[in-house]
Amino acid sequence: MALRFGPPALGIALFLAAWQAAHWHYGAFILPSPLQTLRALWATLSSASGWAALGATFGRVRLALGLSGLVGGVLGLVAGYLWLIRATLAPVATILLDMPATAWVILTMIWFGPSHRSILFTIAIVIGPILYIGRVDAALTRDRRLENMAASFGASRWARFRTIALRQILSSLGPVFGIALALGFKVAIMAELVTNVAGLGAQMARARAHMDIDLALANVALAVAGLVIIEHLVIRPFQTRLGQWKRGAA
Amino acid sequence: MSGLTLATISHSFSARRVLDTVSLVIRPGELVALVGPSGCGKSTLAAIAGGILKPDQGRILRQYQRHGMVFQQSRLLPWASARDNIAYPLTLGKLSRAQITERTHAAAQAVALLPDDLDKLPAQLSGGMRARVAIARALVVEPEFLIFDEPFAALDPALRRRMQDLVLSLAKARGFGGLFITHDLHEAARLSHRIAVMDRQGKGILGSLTPPGTPGARSEAQIFDFTQEARNHPLLHDLLNVDERAVTLDCACDTLGFQRCC
Repeated sequence: MALRFGPPALGIALFLAAWQAAHWHYGAFILPSPLQTLRALWATLSSASGWAALGATFGRVRLALGLSGLVGGVLGLVAGYLWLIRATLAPVATILLDMPATAWVILTMIWFGPSHRSILFTIAIVIGPILYIGRVDAALTRDRRLENMAASFGASRWARFRTIALRQILSSLGPVFGIALALGFKVAIMAELVTNVAGLGAQMARARAHMDIDLALANVALAVAGLVIIEHLVIRPFQTRLGQWKRGAA
Repeated sequence: MSGLTLATISHSFSARRVLDTVSLVIRPGELVALVGPSGCGKSTLAAIAGGILKPDQGRILRQYQRHGMVFQQSRLLPWASARDNIAYPLTLGKLSRAQITERTHAAAQAVALLPDDLDKLPAQLSGGMRARVAIARALVVEPEFLIFDEPFAALDPALRRRMQDLVLSLAKARGFGGLFITHDLHEAARLSHRIAVMDRQGKGILGSLTPPGTPGARSEAQIFDFTQEARNHPLLHDLLNVDERAVTLDCACDTLGFQRCC
């Protein structure tokens, strides 16, 4: 137990100590202490507006992740099986992946105006190619010998896909979903900050306008805490459920 | 009836011809070992016999309803327990859950798997246990014909021998015919009624050797004498002498070899 939780606890303690030391060096105006940040965080969580901002950001990320997971995922699956689709979409995926997220924020603001839709589109277009490439890679690196085994017992193409290929593909997606979620969050906050549409990013924009460093850091802490909670409640159980066999199941 | 006829089978991978008009007849109830040097196309022929690959040319006549296949490195589903692996072929059909459970347990029992082993994942099983699960998976469909593609190549000699004994006892009890792909002449002599020798470039079956007696009834001395004698047989020259590092993909030419291809 001590060995399992000891090193992470030590890491957190070192981080907090460094933060506190930096606070003493630069002062509360530049960098509030961890305790001040915690108080600001508590104040945010005690207000309805704080929860509304958190809910707005989380809701957008969830919706965008669902949309891009569906579109990018289905396209990735098809491309994983069909060379022609893969070859056709490869340059498109590369271009979309290389586009800076900030460029999308500006473009979508021009296209849709500073709105919920523009943020949603930005998140989806940034994480969609990642989910697409993750799915293509998962489909390509599956163990086809297992499908041959199934074929020898008379399994149809659909049965082979359903019982063997899909299982392998899904088990490879956990880390990709984790990355997409974290990136989606960052993009959402950035887009909200630029467009000033309700959410954690808009709260940060307000904190910046008021030079309220406590509130800014509280929102950062809130975003990080939210991500950690989602990762442990959603992504990790998903990975454990589908990918335990990959770790040897000892 | 459990015979198999492969008639003038040809197959290519990316324009490289791996099998060229290969014909092999396995009579009902006969267990034929197919030997040949690495890369001669034995596993491709097994895949064609097992319905995994469709040959470019040739005909396959199966005189049986169901076959089972045991692969090199077991090919177990890594996420499924031993029980679910054995049951896998049955889940593809329309059997009830009770029937699947009953037949899975019968197959596990036939290969001497313990109930405790059935809940383990493949990664938690030893190599021998994995081989047993793979054999049980092939048996669960109640096959009349079994195809073995170098199933025990990765096992140590003692374990390999135990697995061979298992195949012999199952073949005797159930009377199935089969095709057993192997590199090992001793294994072939122990298990089969007849040893077919494949050309090193996949250009047909060069001929057959028949060990004395029947599988399971041969003494160790008989098997030893047969393999010692067979080592000098010209049919087996390539199997025993080809250095696979000297073989190119396009032309496996070794001017000292039995087949002079260049």
